[in-house]
Amino acid sequence: MSEKIKIIYIDDEKINVMLFQINFSVNYEVYTGYSGYEGLNLLEKHSDTKAVISDLSMPEMSGIEFIMEAKKKYPEKKFYILTGFEVTDEIENAIKSGLIQGYFRKPFCMQEIEKEINKLS
Amino acid sequence: MKSLKFEYRITILYTLIGGLWILFSDNILHLLVNNRAKLSDFQTYKGWFYVIITAILLFFFIRRQLNKHRSLEIALQEHQNHLEETVKERTKELELNIKRLKDTQAHLVQTEKMASLGILTAGVAHEINNPLNYIMGSYVGLHRHYEENSFSDHPEQVGKLIEAMKIGVDRSSSIVKGLSQFSRKSDSYDEDCNVHEIVENSLIMMSSQIKCQISIEKDYSNSDMVIKGNVGNLHQVFINILNNAVQAIESVGTIIVKTREKESEVVITIEDTGTGIPKENLKRLTDPFFSTKAPGKGTGLGLSITFNIIKEHKGRLEFESEVGKGTTVRIVLPKINRP
Repeated sequence: MSEKIKIIYIDDEKINVMLFQINFSVNYEVYTGYSGYEGLNLLEKHSDTKAVISDLSMPEMSGIEFIMEAKKKYPEKKFYILTGFEVTDEIENAIKSGLIQGYFRKPFCMQEIEKEINKLS
Repeated sequence: MKSLKFEYRITILYTLIGGLWILFSDNILHLLVNNRAKLSDFQTYKGWFYVIITAILLFFFIRRQLNKHRSLEIALQEHQNHLEETVKERTKELELNIKRLKDTQAHLVQTEKMASLGILTAGVAHEINNPLNYIMGSYVGLHRHYEENSFSDHPEQVGKLIEAMKIGVDRSSSIVKGLSQFSRKSDSYDEDCNVHEIVENSLIMMSSQIKCQISIEKDYSNSDMVIKGNVGNLHQVFINILNNAVQAIESVGTIIVKTREKESEVVITIEDTGTGIPKENLKRLTDPFFSTKAPGKGTGLGLSITFNIIKEHKGRLEFESEVGKGTTVRIVLPKINRP
């Protein structure tokens, strides 16, 4: 494998971010942020990012709001939601409309997420 | 004259005729009959004439009056019959309305309860899933660490300890998932419902209620049994029926859960060895607010709601019961409820 795939992870909970960073850095190049705004900045800095995974409920800007904003600028990138909620109408609509590629449940399943990301390489 | 009552009228008329007769009949007779010898004969004829005329008059007068009464009586009887029918009709309408009202009330209570429960569970699930995510993340990191490095002391034990964390997270997560599915708010009857998964979830949620003397026997069909329906509502169906089965068992007993797949429908049978249901109560089981449980133990809404949910799924709910032996509840659901 030549270069690691670049992914961005956004979550307002610090422990989640830290653990994601530790676990996914083994196989991917991971950039993390604590809000949608940080996510938009990260996307600007790392334009070759393949996938963006975001928490759903965050203060100020929700995961869906962040992805809607990001998708306008970067329609070619793949977006995912990782949340402690069961599938909500909001998530279902986002999948149907093609806004997000998929949805992962917390507690996360490493294999499930890796499988999805590896499809993009 | 018209305003006077019949008895007054007839008395006055009789007195008038009699009086006039007494006053004038003899004078008239004297004018008409000159022969004195024949006068007494004519007196007799006159008497008879009076009697016949008054009798005829009385006959017609009374008959007219009685006819009026008779037709009134018939009209009254007809009216009364009609009234009875109207009362019967109205009572039926009233009973139907009361039933509708009870149904609506039951539905409202349930909707309100499920709405609050849904909000609560979604919140709780989210709050629990986040810390579970921490544990899962730590497990993944530790597990990898363990695989890459050998721990000098008791490497086998460390491996087992780390695996136990994973099992704990998985089990907690599946309970939270089951709970979320149970209280999921959705009006769609077109969701994919995995019957075995729903029954298992319901059993997990009932596990604290299932006393240790109750054994659960499962006899599941080998097929997948995925039908179209409403996931949250079907959870309620099984939880309600399992709850009744558990409450029917006083101390020791068995609950058998059986699933079978047929061509166009699935059949789930829940059998308990509980107290059973008397025949007179079997018909009323699904009436809203009908309960034989002690106050506080049941609202009488469980089976009414269950029945309505199954009706929405175009399915059937059947009961068989024998007092002292137990009850069998059969739930029949079409695979696709809206073809």
